[in-house]
Amino acid sequence: VVYLVAMCRAVPIGDLLDRASQRSDKMHSLSTQLTQEMDTHFPPYGRMQMQRPAECHTSTLQTPNDKEQALQVSNSDLMSLVRSLLQAWVDPLVILSNSAITLPHPAKSSISSKIQELQEHSKSLADGLDILSGKMGPAAQATSSLPYTGGTDLGQDRVTILNKFGFLLSCLRRDSHKIDSFLKVLRCRAVKLQPELC
Amino acid sequence: LFIQLAEGKRHAPPGKPTLTSCRSPEKETFTCWWEPGSDGGLPTTHALYYRKENSETVYECPDYKTAGENSCFFSKNDTSIWVNYNITVVATNVLGRTFSDPVDIDVVYIVMPNPPEEVRVSVTQNTDWPFLRVSWEPPKKADTRSGWITLIYEVRIQLENEDEWEVHPAGQQKVFNIFSPRSGGTYQVQVRCKPDHGFWSEWSPSTYVKVPEYFPREKSMWIL
Repeated sequence: VVYLVAMCRAVPIGDLLDRASQRSDKMHSLSTQLTQEMDTHFPPYGRMQMQRPAECHTSTLQTPNDKEQALQVSNSDLMSLVRSLLQAWVDPLVILSNSAITLPHPAKSSISSKIQELQEHSKSLADGLDILSGKMGPAAQATSSLPYTGGTDLGQDRVTILNKFGFLLSCLRRDSHKIDSFLKVLRCRAVKLQPELC
Repeated sequence: LFIQLAEGKRHAPPGKPTLTSCRSPEKETFTCWWEPGSDGGLPTTHALYYRKENSETVYECPDYKTAGENSCFFSKNDTSIWVNYNITVVATNVLGRTFSDPVDIDVVYIVMPNPPEEVRVSVTQNTDWPFLRVSWEPPKKADTRSGWITLIYEVRIQLENEDEWEVHPAGQQKVFNIFSPRSGGTYQVQVRCKPDHGFWSEWSPSTYVKVPEYFPREKSMWIL
């Protein structure tokens, strides 16, 4: 056992962050594909009623809005932002996953399997970051709670359901981009000695 | 004839302008371009207005000059990401104003970098077989060092007098080796880049290389 622990410690943080950002990269690509898939059959009249991004349940979390701000944030604070965002999507992803099966949309089976894949990546990324943040100290382990209060039901009629589903995906697309961007900044800070990566 | 003349001279409010594209080369600044509609036969001016998500304040374009005619440039100070910009162009002449359809953009979804720079090709001959070594630098504006933007690359080569390009994905590497070039052939080499989530750049300008004449050794000879 001691040997195993020693082995685990031997994996450099840069490598762990590289693996983490491969997951987050995939998560963002999937959420982008999902929003595009939704758009191909979105009722144009319904789109007008789509909620604004400010109404995303994660919008209260203060995150940097440009490079200058992002590069000033410490490693542990960036890690805390990433973990808070990931945590905030656990419940809504379950709702998306449950609703996808009966979604009134011609591509529902493809949408459903992509959401499952997203959930798996999200889960393994969260597990990995739990370990990683443990090595970074208490500030990295602190997270903000961002509860989803939109209810487990997306609605009754087709337009409402598609709207709410599309809205959640657009929030997820933005948040997964934040997660991916912050992790890639962390990765470059950790692998300063590998100029071919950054 | 009279009607035609009258119509030719008729003055009208400006035609509807169209926002044609917006692009950010590095996730730090961006530019939007528009196409004017008809001018209604009168001097017409165009102005771009924008409103950021979570704010009711409407701002006018901060810089009409930097990116040329019919464009608006947003410097680092005017650019936020993960924030929607609602953008409208307004054409005005003495008879009235016409608004373009508004466009909603988030800078993270419009990233298209400049092409890679300092593309170099050399023939390396210290082994039995010469090979081409292509190397390049990321576009100067893109801050890949901090991880703010991550680029992947593609190399393509074309033998002189042939139509087909041979395309090679190079990942995040800034150097790529191409083996078994044709003896005595002249190659044209280009490189392009794409951010992790964004659009391919244009191809870099061509770099040329001539492979010296060499005689590939027959491996079967050795076996014999």
